[in-house]
Amino acid sequence: METTNIVLCGLGGQGILFMTKIFAQVALGKGLNIMGAETHGMAQRGGSVVSHLRIGQVESSLVRTGAAHFLLALDETEAYRNLPFLSKGAGMYVSTHAGDFPRQETIGFLEKNKIVCHAIPAATIAMELGAPLSTNLALLGYFSAFGEGPMSKEELRGTIANISPDQLRESNLKVFDTGLKRGLEEKGE
Amino acid sequence: MERQEIFLGNGAIALGLVEAGSQVVTSYPGTPSSEILPEVVRLIKSEGLNTYVEWSTNEKVALDNAFAAAISGKRAACCMKQVGLNVAADSLMSAAYLGTRGGLLIISCDDPGPHSSQTEQDTRFMARLAKVPVLDPSNPEEARQMVGLGLDISEEFAIPVILRPAIRVCHARQNITFKTIKKNDQKASFEKDPMRWAATPRFRFILHGELNKKLEEIGKRFDGLSQYNFHDLEPGKTYPLGIVAGGVPYAVTRDILSEERRTDIPVLKIGTPFPFPEALASELMSACEQVLVIEETDTFIEYLLRDRNKVLGRLSGHVAREGELVPEVVHALINRVLKELDLAPLEADGNGEAMELVKNLQLPVRRPTLCPGCPHRPAFFSIRKARPKAIFTSDIGCYTLGLNLGVVDTCLDMGAAITMASGFYHAYAQDGVEQPIVATIGDSTFFHSGTAGLLNAVYNGARFILVILDNMITAMTGMQPTPALGIRADGSEGKAISLERIVAGCGVDFIEVVDPYDIEKTTDIIKKAADYVAGPDGGVAAIIARHPCVIADRQEAIPQKKVVMITDDCTDCNFCIDRFECPALYHDEELGRTNINREICSDCGVCLQICPKGAIVEVEG
Repeated sequence: METTNIVLCGLGGQGILFMTKIFAQVALGKGLNIMGAETHGMAQRGGSVVSHLRIGQVESSLVRTGAAHFLLALDETEAYRNLPFLSKGAGMYVSTHAGDFPRQETIGFLEKNKIVCHAIPAATIAMELGAPLSTNLALLGYFSAFGEGPMSKEELRGTIANISPDQLRESNLKVFDTGLKRGLEEKGE
Repeated sequence: MERQEIFLGNGAIALGLVEAGSQVVTSYPGTPSSEILPEVVRLIKSEGLNTYVEWSTNEKVALDNAFAAAISGKRAACCMKQVGLNVAADSLMSAAYLGTRGGLLIISCDDPGPHSSQTEQDTRFMARLAKVPVLDPSNPEEARQMVGLGLDISEEFAIPVILRPAIRVCHARQNITFKTIKKNDQKASFEKDPMRWAATPRFRFILHGELNKKLEEIGKRFDGLSQYNFHDLEPGKTYPLGIVAGGVPYAVTRDILSEERRTDIPVLKIGTPFPFPEALASELMSACEQVLVIEETDTFIEYLLRDRNKVLGRLSGHVAREGELVPEVVHALINRVLKELDLAPLEADGNGEAMELVKNLQLPVRRPTLCPGCPHRPAFFSIRKARPKAIFTSDIGCYTLGLNLGVVDTCLDMGAAITMASGFYHAYAQDGVEQPIVATIGDSTFFHSGTAGLLNAVYNGARFILVILDNMITAMTGMQPTPALGIRADGSEGKAISLERIVAGCGVDFIEVVDPYDIEKTTDIIKKAADYVAGPDGGVAAIIARHPCVIADRQEAIPQKKVVMITDDCTDCNFCIDRFECPALYHDEELGRTNINREICSDCGVCLQICPKGAIVEVEG
């Protein structure tokens, strides 16, 4: 199997590690090898946080610039900061409220490299559902609608159900499903 | 079916520790090592083991405790970050001479980058200085296996062994297959031998000779250790370029060469950098015209390769002398060498266009900040309010971020808030200048290495204000308990140690405890402390600013939520944003004034006390 390289980014405290864990758990369930790299320590106090996840037979945990198949960003600025990781034809999934996403200056680059941008106001969705700390799951649900990578929306959803603590399961799934619905609507399904 | 689980690298190390029958594991938390001990605790609970674990008060304490267990015949390990090994260096250097009986593994986690440390120091040099073997894993699975190897070598040769996983091993995640875990029932049996365990210099000379012999034998063993030290040279063939790599850079290099299908470049992997596998290295050196060394973070292997004329690396300027060797950096440096040697370059490009684009976007740097609701914030705010002209010595922990509030001027090493405060005092006092000084140190850092500096300061007549920022936890490294909490590493009850009593025991006569959430009271106490410091019988005034960490226990930290809003009285003066620096306060372009980010506001209500215009108010009902 070809290697799949994923980059997840945002700010400390937004739940990047939990999102990475869900991906890794799905891959493990499918018998795939995973290798990931996480940010711990000082940067978790609100600084830029990046998580790398590689699915396949690899030695190192870090994704090389120009080698990521898709990027999930919980913050628009962090999405731009991590643009260099994207490979040609990669997908970009960003939580943003900005109407003018992506920024004008980046459009030439994105088009030239056939990078497809998807944006969702994940924070608003999570907030409206009374779960402001679950922005990550709204983005993940949205992402799952597009069928990227070696994991399906059913597998991602099932893993969230499995690893969520009891008192958060229902709320987590509701946020995920709302994101998923947005994605499916965007795809015209 | 075999049982698999995704482990953090530190979890894989913990698994290696219990699989290898470690009976005693000690640690002091520090990124990137902090998760090892909690993972050991998780495993001993799930596997029903009776391993003794402890959060020691500092790294030297951790090593001494593990050493005693090891010389009583048990298998022991202690875990720390690389700068922690500096604290334990006194113990390490001597333990190398004395040797061990049971296995003793010291796990010292390096931080190339650095991501969360004061230095990028390379533990391999510390191992060389102490003359103990060091193992350098490339990924979590290898780290797990090397734990067993390290304890075996330690026991067989009666020598402490160091494992040095770098941050990309510690904080990598990998799927790991479980093996059966056997319980180790080795009983403690210390055999008295004062000539060895309490050796005087004359016997130390003899022990040094024994140590050198051990290293020679281990070096030969490492030459044949093909699981961790190996190359892919074809017999009789010569190459224009070969690579020597170890640790994480080996994994990165291997992936790059595999992706590019570059079988024309042989690679020697060094998993045991000291004692150096000389014979294996000679084979690569003989077969290659040039040899590129890719290692983190210093020039350890590079120094050990005998024919310098052939070697490319940091000393030749081909590898950066600081910073992490991330894949794009390794990619670029290999490409540079290939081009210089007129060899075929790598195909993939480093995405330089995107990097240029991002640079031009001028994205704001997201500096880490104290969390919304953090009790350190009002403590710093009050300190600055009460003593605006002071020199602010600080220390290592979350509260180093007091930098952002302009209340941290220095951060040297663990405990230096206090020692530097006394140093500044005497430097100014010598000139007859009464310089106000406020030292800030966290509770855990105070327990780690505050007392020696404090009693020195009191004994030598220094005058300054010491604020112990007591959030009742070791927050930065992931919420480990401190001795004051009375909870031990395995969750069992321990004896809670009183900060107040320690401070009093160090001879401090002015001690006040205050809740920093109350800014007015905190400011008053700091002013009172300043009067005491300057008074006729003044000395060190200690204030314990006590309030629970908002991340560790939000309910405890904010028992009563106060929802705040900003009224039209806000004149957009930015005082709150600059001086209080709460990430939930931001300048709202549309409103043309400050606003509150409800997504991250903790509802602590502390900011109700700070606005000079009274524009921050509580929402009714």
